[in-house]
Amino acid sequence: MSRLDGRVAVVTGAGQGVGEGIARRLASEACLVVVAARRAETGEPVAESIRDHGGRAECIVTDVADGDSVQACVDETVRRFGRLDIMVHNAFMGGIPHKLENARIDKHWMKMSRTGVWASLFCARSAMPHLVESSRRPRGTGGGRLILITSPSGVEGSANIPLYSSAKAAQRAIAKSLAREWGPHGVTVNCIGPVAGSPALLTAFERDPALRDAIEARTPLGRVGDITGDVGSVALFLASDDSAYVTGQTIICDGGSFLGL
Amino acid sequence: MSVLVLGEGPIARHLRATVVSDVAAAVVVTEVDGARGVGPIEELDDATIDAVFEQPMQKVIAGLQQAHAAGVERIVVIVPTIGMSGGDRHAVHAALAEAARITVKSAARQWGPDGITVNAVALAPEEFGVDPAVSGPVAIAPRAMRGTVDASNTVNWLCSGAAAHVTGQTVVCDGGLWM
Repeated sequence: MSRLDGRVAVVTGAGQGVGEGIARRLASEACLVVVAARRAETGEPVAESIRDHGGRAECIVTDVADGDSVQACVDETVRRFGRLDIMVHNAFMGGIPHKLENARIDKHWMKMSRTGVWASLFCARSAMPHLVESSRRPRGTGGGRLILITSPSGVEGSANIPLYSSAKAAQRAIAKSLAREWGPHGVTVNCIGPVAGSPALLTAFERDPALRDAIEARTPLGRVGDITGDVGSVALFLASDDSAYVTGQTIICDGGSFLGL
Repeated sequence: MSVLVLGEGPIARHLRATVVSDVAAAVVVTEVDGARGVGPIEELDDATIDAVFEQPMQKVIAGLQQAHAAGVERIVVIVPTIGMSGGDRHAVHAALAEAARITVKSAARQWGPDGITVNAVALAPEEFGVDPAVSGPVAIAPRAMRGTVDASNTVNWLCSGAAAHVTGQTVVCDGGLWM
């Protein structure tokens, strides 16, 4: 029996990058995955590809910056598939390099705040009753999980994108708070801080080939992480029964580059 | 010389009256509304997120920018420890506290080459009006020390020339509760 057989997950931002990797890895363990993407043009091909590889996946177009859209995604998921066990909030927009002294709220902060901080709260708010219900199921058949994708810079700050770190830090605090709040219901809440070959990072490598060498040189494991095999596998652990007693934590998945936790 | 203290509420008023420095310094007090936004996440509405997280966070950003524009050498941001510990039914307050605290680290990284230090002082949640009885345990062990906690001396030191090589740090000043 596969590790997530019968369970249903929503993964936001699953149309590409880390979200796609997580969606593929969960689906590989028989989880039905809702690919929640802002644009059907990116979400549908990922869902189709998962199905082509024998998995179960559907795309639901979702704008995580809009609480009503997140609620609609959760409602539609439960209506069509009967349950929601695992909510992964990965989608994030913004991250333009800036100087803090010149940062503008509209240009450098709001998009990250809405898609990172607000959206984490939206996902939690909408998914909560279903995650609690999942945790009432017998062990091995359910277990509510909320997983937020943060960043090592949410712990150590950033000289290049300071307010990105601020938003990512807020997500860790939300996870710790909800871990306390939802622990009595048996629902776990954790974060992953990945550094992996997302489209954004791969594009940066194309622009600056020295960047890959620099990242690999500072990484003890000597390579950039894989979105499915590396980050997706951490998500699988946090989604599965194996992590039933792990909550409020951040797992940094970056090959050992950041060791400050 | 006097220290520029940005923020409202009793913590800001107290620091405004007590903190001095031998170098140009500013203190930014994170405005945590401990009376609003307390409750289970499923009851959280957008207006509360805006009032308890978004607007105060934008004030922290603006405060740091104002301090930088004033040309100070020392900046201290006051936050509650609830950002580090998390708080039962206080997810929005914790998000604000931790966003502010990590912004300090980023500011320290960016402004360090200009000789500006940026640090945080973390106080117990109740200093911000967050009821510890409903916020959940901040730590497993009880508070190590007895008596009233006054953060003024800690803030004074971080604002002074003596702390010239300390930056990006969080000094917890809560009598040994959060460790």
